Amino acid sequence: MIEARDLSKRYGDKLAVDDVTFSVRPGVVTGFLGPNGAGKSTTMRMIMGLDRPTSGSVTVNGRPYAQHRAPLAEVGALLEAKAVHPGRTARQHLQALAATHGIPTTRVDEVIDLTGLTAVARKRVGGFSLGMGQRLGIAVALLGDPRTLILDEPVNGLDPEGVLWVRNLARYLAEEGRTVFLSSHLMSEVALTADHVIVIGKGRILADTPVRELLDGASRRRVRVRTPQGAELAAALRREGAEVEVSDDGALDVAGLDAARVGELAAGAAVVLHELTPVSSTLEDAYMALTADAVEYHAEDVPAVPATTPGGADR
Amino acid sequence: MSATTSTTGAPPSGTPVHRVSFWRVLRAEWIKFRTLRSTVWTAVVTAVVMVGFALMMAAIMRASTGNPEMQEGMSQDPGLQAMGMTGTTVITLGYSFGQLAIAVLAALVVTNEYSTGMVRSTFAAVPQRLPALWAKLVVIVVATVVIISLALGVAYLVTMPLLDDAGMAVDLGDAEQVRALLGCVLYLATVAAFSLAVGTLMRHTAGAIFTLVALFFVLPIIFSIVVAATDAAWTDQVNKLLPSVAGERIIATGPTPETLLEPWTGYGVLAAYTVALLVGAAVAIRRRDA
Repeated sequence: MIEARDLSKRYGDKLAVDDVTFSVRPGVVTGFLGPNGAGKSTTMRMIMGLDRPTSGSVTVNGRPYAQHRAPLAEVGALLEAKAVHPGRTARQHLQALAATHGIPTTRVDEVIDLTGLTAVARKRVGGFSLGMGQRLGIAVALLGDPRTLILDEPVNGLDPEGVLWVRNLARYLAEEGRTVFLSSHLMSEVALTADHVIVIGKGRILADTPVRELLDGASRRRVRVRTPQGAELAAALRREGAEVEVSDDGALDVAGLDAARVGELAAGAAVVLHELTPVSSTLEDAYMALTADAVEYHAEDVPAVPATTPGGADR
Repeated sequence: MSATTSTTGAPPSGTPVHRVSFWRVLRAEWIKFRTLRSTVWTAVVTAVVMVGFALMMAAIMRASTGNPEMQEGMSQDPGLQAMGMTGTTVITLGYSFGQLAIAVLAALVVTNEYSTGMVRSTFAAVPQRLPALWAKLVVIVVATVVIISLALGVAYLVTMPLLDDAGMAVDLGDAEQVRALLGCVLYLATVAAFSLAVGTLMRHTAGAIFTLVALFFVLPIIFSIVVAATDAAWTDQVNKLLPSVAGERIIATGPTPETLLEPWTGYGVLAAYTVALLVGAAVAIRRRDA
């Protein structure tokens, strides 16, 4: 259980986290979603007691992190940047951290096996790939058999097998009754892994909701209609309160009414239809709609490339 | 990487996890210290160079005994006279090099954690932070005491025949000479603590090393020139209070020059700086974001 109350963090002029209040419950995977620079990592560092909140407070399992007597047994964290000295081997790194809590070497070897690092455990971390570094970070997080896991961008740099493994691991840990808090800037990743999602943008909480509701609520359904009597149908639809746009190929793009209602109105107005297609927006569309105003770094608009796989490429 | 990975993270229930204690943190810091090649190499090189300096100086002393010209030259050299050249001076000669190596080693113990991000792992495991700082302090001070004691021990043994011939044998029954030898260990251990504190306050490797080299190496040289060149009393005052100039009095033998502090007073000045810096480091490490 993680509970943040009115949590804020200011770096100079910049308010990185702006008065956020949320709780992360045990037994489910909670996604922490937001664009780069939205305040995800800052929030996670404050939970871990690494950064001091400017105001507000955050507790883990009922206490500020630093007040736990065996913090690694309470929270295991994978932090975004590599937090390892490149001159040590993976095993030495784990052993040093294990020593602070009297965790035996058998457990060190266990988490090494568990994360698939057995072959490289005695190699220096400096030569690790991004994916191996992530696995080591996850090994560190699991070391103390913690009740709460905080994983900052856990699938970054992992190969597809690794991505799947992290997803299953997160779900498994949550099923065991643990609290799993996992950040990502990819909606699709969160949709596949998490049950609940907290969306953050420009340091503010934009949504705190079950994943399913976010997908249903934020994705506005549209209907695509083709007809030789475009002007007539558009007028009829607008009278019913729909938003109608004429696309380049002459089809009508209707928002606000479902396909059945559009068909009825067309019949009522004696309009011939050549096409009537419900179009559901993708997860990414939903996410973009939610965070459009809260993106820290905007790219110049580029012509949209038609998406072939709704929900992202790594589904 | 195509390693096989288990699909579950099932930790066997009952993984023994104990609460964080100072001894456990100390063990962790010791593992960190000994698992970096750079620290191990620096330690070995420091010891070897200190023995080398002693051996070289002892050989020069011995050569000069059979050479009246050389002896006369040395007796007229103000630098050598100021040093009050004795057997202990020969054995401890390498301390001026050793202090730089030890200072860098001690600063790196902290700054390498900040430069690599390791510090976040350290503070996640020891969120109270101060136990980690004190454990690092114990590790670097004890390591320094061991390295320097070994180096001096070996230097004592290998220079013994040479110094005997030169009539400068170290007398371990002489309180002043024993004070100088133990003082060398004490001085360098204190330099280690001083440097750890500077590293903690500055966090950046380059900045910390620059500061330490300036304090322990550059400033004393500048002041030795300034003091010789001017009659201004303040230069003497500042010079004798420099960390290294004050602290290394504990290694000196012979009468104390007017411009310098008594051995224990001088060491006390360095110790006071060190305590003040450690307090500052403790406050900073608790307050700052990692």
